[in-house]
Amino acid sequence: MSTRVNRRTLLAFLGPSVFALLAVGVVPLAYAVWKSFYYFNLTKLSRSEFIGLDNYATVLTSGAFWGAMGRTAMLFITAVPIQIAIGLCIALVLHRPGLTLFKTLTRLALVLPMATTYAVVGLLAQVMMNQKYGVFNQMFGWIGIDPINIIGDPTNAFIGVVFWDIWQWTPFVALVLLAGLTTVPPEIEEAARLETKSNWIVLRHVQLPFLIPSLVAVLILRTADTLKLFDMPFTMTRGGPGNATEFIAVLIERIGNRQFDIGLAAAHAIIMLAITVVLARIYISLFYKDVR
Amino acid sequence: MRLNTKASVIALAATSVLGAGSAWADAHAWSLEKAAEPYAGTEVNLLFLDRPGYAAALEMIPEFEEKTGIKINTTTVPYENALGEQVRDFVAGGDIDIALIDLVWIGNFAENDWIVPISKFTGNADLADPELDMEDFFPLTLNAFGGWDGEIYGLPFDNYSGLMFYNSCMLKEAGFDGPPETWQELMDDYGPALTKDGKYAFALQSKRNETQSADSFARMLWPFGGSFLNAEFRSNLNSEESQTGLKFRQDLMKYMPEGIVAWDHAETVNGLAQGDIGIITEWSSFYSTLVSPETSTLGDCLAVAAEPAGPAGRKPALGGFSLAVASQADDAEQAAGYLFIQWVTSKANAERYVRAGGVSARQSVYEDPAIREEFKFVPALVESWQEGVPEFRPRFAEWPEITEIVQEWGTKMMLGEVSTEDGATEIGKRMEAVLDQAGYYGGDKPLAQ
Amino acid sequence: MAAASRTPSRWGEIALLCAICLFCVFPFYWMVTTSLKTQVVALQSPPAWLFTPTLQNYIDVLVEDRMGFALMNSMIVSVSTTALAVCLGCPAAYALARFEFRGKTDLWFWFITNRFVSPVVLAFPVFMIARETGLRDTHIALILMYLTFTLPIVIWICTDQFRSIPYDLDEAAQLEGASQWRIFRSICLPLAMPGVAVSAILSFIFAWNELLFAYILAPKAAKTAPAMAVTFMEGYSVPYGKIMATSTLIVIPVLIFALLASKHLVRGLTMGAVK
Repeated sequence: MSTRVNRRTLLAFLGPSVFALLAVGVVPLAYAVWKSFYYFNLTKLSRSEFIGLDNYATVLTSGAFWGAMGRTAMLFITAVPIQIAIGLCIALVLHRPGLTLFKTLTRLALVLPMATTYAVVGLLAQVMMNQKYGVFNQMFGWIGIDPINIIGDPTNAFIGVVFWDIWQWTPFVALVLLAGLTTVPPEIEEAARLETKSNWIVLRHVQLPFLIPSLVAVLILRTADTLKLFDMPFTMTRGGPGNATEFIAVLIERIGNRQFDIGLAAAHAIIMLAITVVLARIYISLFYKDVR
Repeated sequence: MRLNTKASVIALAATSVLGAGSAWADAHAWSLEKAAEPYAGTEVNLLFLDRPGYAAALEMIPEFEEKTGIKINTTTVPYENALGEQVRDFVAGGDIDIALIDLVWIGNFAENDWIVPISKFTGNADLADPELDMEDFFPLTLNAFGGWDGEIYGLPFDNYSGLMFYNSCMLKEAGFDGPPETWQELMDDYGPALTKDGKYAFALQSKRNETQSADSFARMLWPFGGSFLNAEFRSNLNSEESQTGLKFRQDLMKYMPEGIVAWDHAETVNGLAQGDIGIITEWSSFYSTLVSPETSTLGDCLAVAAEPAGPAGRKPALGGFSLAVASQADDAEQAAGYLFIQWVTSKANAERYVRAGGVSARQSVYEDPAIREEFKFVPALVESWQEGVPEFRPRFAEWPEITEIVQEWGTKMMLGEVSTEDGATEIGKRMEAVLDQAGYYGGDKPLAQ
Repeated sequence: MAAASRTPSRWGEIALLCAICLFCVFPFYWMVTTSLKTQVVALQSPPAWLFTPTLQNYIDVLVEDRMGFALMNSMIVSVSTTALAVCLGCPAAYALARFEFRGKTDLWFWFITNRFVSPVVLAFPVFMIARETGLRDTHIALILMYLTFTLPIVIWICTDQFRSIPYDLDEAAQLEGASQWRIFRSICLPLAMPGVAVSAILSFIFAWNELLFAYILAPKAAKTAPAMAVTFMEGYSVPYGKIMATSTLIVIPVLIFALLASKHLVRGLTMGAVK
């Protein structure tokens, strides 16, 4: 069901956006590739020189890159399963009939975290997780836990980032899975419920197959956003303490913005981009296999 | 617009900054209003920080604007962004006309020709105030904050020495008449006596940013005889003295609050101000925060002394900002910018600056008995500025890269993730790689820091 | 499992729903109340729940710190980039949905791959380019760079939307001799409006929330609100009230938009993947 059109029409429809994305996406990328072969430091522009693959060698051998990648992966494998587990519970509760008003309100409340400016989440974390003035420690006190130094301890700071990632994105996962649940034909679900009383069996054998597309979508988007994660740790911990929360985007920003080594930052970015594109391609083809 | 300042540097280098007397022959006729006449309406842009010295200057600026017709546009940024914002502005040929230079940035700014030597203006009788009196600045501050490689670029504006602030009431209760004289006393006597009931003897701000390298790491190197580099510009961090200092820092952590690696100035000053911490070593500029009843509960309990001494003597932390004219400014902006720098750092305005909460680098203002009486930090400050180490942190152009390394590994040391030896080796290796890259070992570059 | 039986205790379910709401809303509550505290109250330990509110922080950030100016910049940039993305993206989405041409799938892949590119990859090169072209610190630089993520959103959602419009309408119009452009403008675009609106709202939200490009490309004249929030992270003093007042001012516009679009938010965020 598609129309054959002449070149001019095609160009008129597609040309502007292709050109725009080439200009703002591909040109800077080409520039980055070019500079990644140079020693190119903003504070030492007079000493810029072609150094071939040295920057890439530095990235791959320095440990900082792999450390940051490891932390990024660690964040993904700790936060995302929790987001999916809690998100699924929320979605199942919201999917049940009845209590319409409550559920509408809950759905609205779920929108709040994911719309919050990411940088603001980090600022909120600083305020709420402060060891002395923070409301978190006050609440811990109510249940008899001594004040915890959250932002100042490497492990706790990482857990802090995981917590806020869960806060911001669990509602998203819940709403995606809820949308998935609505694709289950009601008559099939009804029939299944007549057969068994176990919600688990209904979930496992009736609902889950319909949830697969949603779950894949969640995985794709959470992967992309975890790789991009910058604003929240930047405003919350700036990558610290030590480098406990230095995720890949935070590391690259540090190299480019504070050591001013644009060449090295570009090499980091290109390698990260390669990883991103490969993952994106795999995910997209996996997911859209059925659609196409 | 980018002027070729190289030529003027060479031309004017002969005219010593302090001895340009001939140019001031008809000085009696000079007045700010007259000097500024050609530049009325000129706008001058610069970055400010959210710190007491800048608040003081902001109080004074309207008067300057009224007298001269020059418009001073300040943009407040956090310290951690100030270097990046300025580097990007200078690289891009932006609109900053006056550079705000932390002492560790001066080598960088000067070697890139982003700033103009002050002699270009002090040698111009139309601009130079006959009352300028450069000798009145503490020599340490003028040379360290404003000078690079024998040339003066900036005039000291927001000036710090590390000082010891303490809660004299808390110390008295624990049976101490005065503050510790040496770091060892702090560790042996004050530490155990003051650390109890949720209170701590000491807090050393150590957050992973410039605070870690300047306030924490370097502070423990120098008094113990250590340093970043030896005479050949190789790492000196594994020397016995440096290691003693770094180990001392680890040991002292038992008298500091938990999570000290996340503490920045705000937390530390507030800890003392709220009575939770007995002693801190902080910049002089926090005096106004610590005496203000709005931000501090200390009242008369606040006392100030010079930093404790180590085996190598008293080597207090040194920091501070100068203002210098940016070379990318056009002629009118440069002249107007210079007039502002000269005015805001002048001898005549020093008392006003101090009273508004700033810390002036003018020696004359601290000779006033009323000032000495009213501002308790003055004697300690004057003493500290006699003994400071200009290269407390190396000031060469490579510092921004090196500080990142020190911040990362210094924090790891404190967290116990690496030993002081391994951490120092790691910093040394990376630091030498940066210096090698910069050409110090090939003989291309003089070993200046 | 949340639902334990077919005849559940409604109270348990209500309690659970309330807990979810509380979890989502509490940080907002804390943000807004902290923004109404003076510095002295904000620094109370343990934190105060009851206090006399003050609007001083809002007055401070709006008057002294030119937050209004930053909010205006954010508004200009977000609205412009959204408008531009819609104008460029809708025809492209229509072409991807309706026309047949070689490399269509690849082109579509390329468009959506942009959704995965981190701004940190592009930010530094773009800074250098903006420096050469004199676009540094202008709204235009940000508007253009934000196309890297707004345009894929619009194309992705609208392609889906155009596909869902019955093809018969096109055919009928073609028989009457209408041009492709006319069919797009007069027949399909009006029918695709729900999708266009959702993609526009999402573009706006993403552009509004963006920090990294703004922080590097627009230091002063075009400084946006999130970049302004970073300004308060000075180690010398931490003005909690002011930080939270700024945060509240930044978040409110997006919240309004997000709540307006809440029904379609999921579909938009998953790029139409989940219907």
